[in-house]
Amino acid sequence: MNPQRGLPSRHLLLLLPLAFVAAPLPAAVSCELNNPAADVPRLFPESTSYKTLYFSFASRGGDPVFKRVVSRLAGVPALYAPLDVPYTLYEIYKGKEKIGYIHGVNQKGQFGVLEVFVSLDLEGRIKAFYLQRVAGSWGNKFTARKFGTQFVGMTLKDFATFDFIAGKGTGRLAAVINPAPEALTDFLGVLRALNKNLILMDEFFYSAEKKP
Amino acid sequence: MISKFQIASKNLLRKKARTVLTLVGIILSSWVLVSLLGFNRGYEKALNRDIDNMGYQVMVMAKGCPYEAATMMLQGGAGLRYIEENVAKSIETRPEVDKVTPILMQAYFDPNKGDGGGIAGYFGVDLATFPAMKPFLRFHKGGWFKEPEAAEAVMGYEAAELEQRDVGDLILVPEKNVQLKVVGILERTGTQDDGTIFVPLKTLQKISGLDKITTIGIKVKKDADITGLENALYQLPDMQVVSFSQVKQTIMKLIATARVMVLSIAVIALLIAMVGVVNTVLMSVLERKHEIGILKTMGAMPGDIFRLVWTETLILCASGGVLGIGLALGFARLSDLLVRRALPYAPGGELVAIDLRLSATTLLTIVVVGLVSGMYPAWKAGRIRPLDSIRSEA
Repeated sequence: MNPQRGLPSRHLLLLLPLAFVAAPLPAAVSCELNNPAADVPRLFPESTSYKTLYFSFASRGGDPVFKRVVSRLAGVPALYAPLDVPYTLYEIYKGKEKIGYIHGVNQKGQFGVLEVFVSLDLEGRIKAFYLQRVAGSWGNKFTARKFGTQFVGMTLKDFATFDFIAGKGTGRLAAVINPAPEALTDFLGVLRALNKNLILMDEFFYSAEKKP
Repeated sequence: MISKFQIASKNLLRKKARTVLTLVGIILSSWVLVSLLGFNRGYEKALNRDIDNMGYQVMVMAKGCPYEAATMMLQGGAGLRYIEENVAKSIETRPEVDKVTPILMQAYFDPNKGDGGGIAGYFGVDLATFPAMKPFLRFHKGGWFKEPEAAEAVMGYEAAELEQRDVGDLILVPEKNVQLKVVGILERTGTQDDGTIFVPLKTLQKISGLDKITTIGIKVKKDADITGLENALYQLPDMQVVSFSQVKQTIMKLIATARVMVLSIAVIALLIAMVGVVNTVLMSVLERKHEIGILKTMGAMPGDIFRLVWTETLILCASGGVLGIGLALGFARLSDLLVRRALPYAPGGELVAIDLRLSATTLLTIVVVGLVSGMYPAWKAGRIRPLDSIRSEA
């Protein structure tokens, strides 16, 4: 036997390239927590358990709802996903009682996707902000606790007085400080993502739950 | 005048339950048989397509590179071994070689990806040789880089979708903080290319601060001696040779046992179905002994009786075969899904490939096997003596 060819694990090595071929490619799905078992208690310290739900425009009203959400986003390019792409929602429980939600959305950023999560109480008030993914040297400025706490306590109403295209407005959201002035695209991207996140939650859950 | 087919059909319909049960046996066995034969062909075809989509049949990489792939993923490229670029040029001069393409794979740690950070991988490819080796790659938007040293990137469909990048957008190489402009987004291929970010080789070498490569893709000339080439490449010091023909053989060997077992089951199922046919037709012959006797007294020859009974077998096998193949065609996608779930490695594309030729061959096999099985009852019917049968009935 040729010693060069006699490696004991040669067959496994030979399979390696095809293992890459066979590896599941990242599918076009919604924003999911990388490690929900650790992330949920961090974002919702009083939680004892959570339930993962999937929803999509197709399963919740279809095209009319999609168009309504697009109009509520007021022309901001934010929805890339087709109707049947599932969104992921984490329902948070304390014992048997539901105490809130964690929901994330993808948003186009300067150098890549922004994955923006919020934990919300049952009234739709932000309890915690989590930027799971951001590209750029300024990333740590956006992931810093100081930046995220600025959004705590905000509701969808706080986003109503802000122009997400011009990047100007009034109220609490306008007072949020951009930690990286050199990354205005990502800063506005985060604000747009939060707006989209809260509109989706309102459309699919909060408003729906209030309906008789 | 009533035809032989009509008489045979009427005979079969006299015992409907028995005929239907026999038919179900034939339908199921032909369904299984054609699906498995379709899988046998489809799997190999799909595997060949996956390998062809690689663009090259042989890959040469620095020894240890595969071992350290995991290290590369965990430590962002540390420990990777490299090949001098001139090795690619020397391989290109070999008579078996059609084209070669040098590739540099690099991975960088992105601390802002996820909680503990993540890895971003890049493929440095040579603008002059790589696109020519993969002519089947189609662009969803844009095209290849303009210059061999351009600060540009081409993204696989999934990579672009995941990062929400469009042509004209920027991406940032983590660790190095180098900006690249997206100039092309590939159409979905169903291969690893979908998740890949391609960068000009020279650009990636400049970013990484090295003038070497990690891999050489080799496209072999048609009808060239691949084994001879592989043996020659094994002699290169500190090189690891990965041959896709060997990869294919290894995978085919892995599933060969399963294929033989499943095919055996299909053959056994077919044989059981045929025993059912023999049983049904023989029962029918024994029950009609008296009728057959009368037919003979009226002048029917043993050959006529033989053909009449044989026609019954033909009707059973042909109709069962057609229905079974129809079901196999109708549920081909479901079979595909089930097979895909059961296999440890399933190539992309259609795994259960049933076409008209395969359907016709299977139907012919079922009919021929059926007719052979039906010879005994038909022969037995032909041999019935008219007086004996009439006397025994009385």
